[in-house]
Amino acid sequence: MLDKRLVLVSGKGGVGKSAVATGLALLAQRHGLRVLIIEMESGGGLSAHFGTGPLAFQPTEVRPGLHAMEMVRSEALLEYLQLQLRLPGMGRFGSVARAFDALATTAPAVREIVTIGKILWEVREEKWDLVIVDAPPTGQIGSYLRAPQSISELVTTGRIRAQADWMADTLADPERTALILVNLPEELPTTETLETIDWVAKTEVVGAPTVIANRVLGELKAKVPASGVVTEMAALHISLWAEQQKWLERLPTDLTLPYMFGLFTPTEVAAHVSDELEALK
Amino acid sequence: MTETVLVTGAGGVGKTTFSAALAVTCARRGARTLVVTVDPARRLATALGVADLGSEPQPHTEEPNLWAAMLDSAASWRAVAMRHADPEVATRLADNEFFQAASEHFPASQAYAAADQAATFVQARAWDMVIVDTPPSGGGIDFFTAPAQMADLVGGRLLRWITGGPIPGRRFFYDRAARPMLRIADTILGSGLLERVSEFLLDLRTTYDGVASRGREIEGVLREASILVVTTADPAPVTEAIRFYRQLPALASTPAAVVFNRSLPEEWATAVPDSGMSADVARLVGQWSAETLRQADAREEFSTRYGAAVASVPWRPDPPTDLTGLADLIEQSHGLPWDRLLPAE
Repeated sequence: MLDKRLVLVSGKGGVGKSAVATGLALLAQRHGLRVLIIEMESGGGLSAHFGTGPLAFQPTEVRPGLHAMEMVRSEALLEYLQLQLRLPGMGRFGSVARAFDALATTAPAVREIVTIGKILWEVREEKWDLVIVDAPPTGQIGSYLRAPQSISELVTTGRIRAQADWMADTLADPERTALILVNLPEELPTTETLETIDWVAKTEVVGAPTVIANRVLGELKAKVPASGVVTEMAALHISLWAEQQKWLERLPTDLTLPYMFGLFTPTEVAAHVSDELEALK
Repeated sequence: MTETVLVTGAGGVGKTTFSAALAVTCARRGARTLVVTVDPARRLATALGVADLGSEPQPHTEEPNLWAAMLDSAASWRAVAMRHADPEVATRLADNEFFQAASEHFPASQAYAAADQAATFVQARAWDMVIVDTPPSGGGIDFFTAPAQMADLVGGRLLRWITGGPIPGRRFFYDRAARPMLRIADTILGSGLLERVSEFLLDLRTTYDGVASRGREIEGVLREASILVVTTADPAPVTEAIRFYRQLPALASTPAAVVFNRSLPEEWATAVPDSGMSADVARLVGQWSAETLRQADAREEFSTRYGAAVASVPWRPDPPTDLTGLADLIEQSHGLPWDRLLPAE
């Protein structure tokens, strides 16, 4: 993963994708890479995992060499108009900025192209060795990954169309871009992960996803006493484990993260995920 | 009088199963109960009798007081816009390429559709209880802010942004010579995209009065409802639940309780490994007692720091898939505020 330029981390809501994204960022930082991590949903879990205050659109250095930012669509749009289109005198309340923002709320793919575009500009800038994205959940990731193609279909001329092509190329290049799907070995997350894998195979907008199973229990092989609290614990553990195995069998998994017992804060969780990823490497 | 219970919380914490279980229990206690659910697992949908049905409430074949309905956000948002537009405009809207995109991608639109549908069921006065499993978007907040956001969208805010002033007439967009902004937009976007979007927004605006007054009705229903915030004790959902709990009083009302799903028996917290245990068993005891302690800590934070009523639902290894399993889940729970949930005798 660390030799890519862009890693997108997605999964069904509640599977721990922010923890995995943060863990991966901490790992890359320990290995001396210049890392930018981007949170796509405003007020999501990233700042809690780093133990910092709320993130902003301007990247802040949360660890030496590791910057974090939150995607803000209106800011991304303004930056795009000013820097990429070199429109002079473009204020936040300029009429083109506002018209664009209206479009981004309404038109298919425009809202996504603004944010996925910002990510891809950061990748292209060479300011970072690795850009990690705490991406939208699997239910929405498709419209982001497909945005460059959608724009090409919707808009036949114009500058945005010309840029859509290199964006699509960057996403589809497995040397540069990886998609991680975080999964829990339970029914709904597994079903959604399988659907996403199929969709990716069909559309080829990005290379084959890497699947990380999260909160996986170890098998309990020891004999336990016949009564008391320990028996109850073992009974729960064994049946949860068996239920998980059922879903793990249905989904080819590349990496497995263990259930993290007794951790109190998101920061502790992220640090443990990072250590686990290191051990797996 | 219909009691409304809104079951809210982040994704993946077990809201849907909890809502179903609560509904089965209320039905068995004699209240005519409708549960409105979002995206249930296949086996749960089967247990509720909604596996192959649309969004109309269906009476359960085996449980006399139980009805279930599935929210179909995409279809119902469409219905909402159609209801408030003239037939001619409605047809034009339906054919518009941006209409579907807006209904799928405007963040509040699915939440609005869900809130609208839920309010419709409450206003029907056909049930003693309506239990709504709310969509998780925006951590659950969208469901409560959607009516206002929706009115804002159709009210022409975007149109005013495009023109930088008053709501334009259709003509506005054809006069490119006088509107340098439109020429710049064409350079970036290709010709006519902004114009096509604006036409759509002009049509959508005709629904404003209907959507705004309906929005106020919906907000009224949401404010009258009892809210249960469901979470697990895992660090990330707890962080979200705290944020949500603190925002809810301003949006609707103070939640009736915070429900901790997947709770472990409290006595596990004091279990300690002893020297007679094998290494594997000692590890097992250490892990699960640490987990139980963490859960107690999360509940404690809610009750002491935020003064919340805290309930717990036991951790079951396999999700219940029949009515009895669902009812058992509630039977084994602690702390649910029944006086605020069930209708007065």
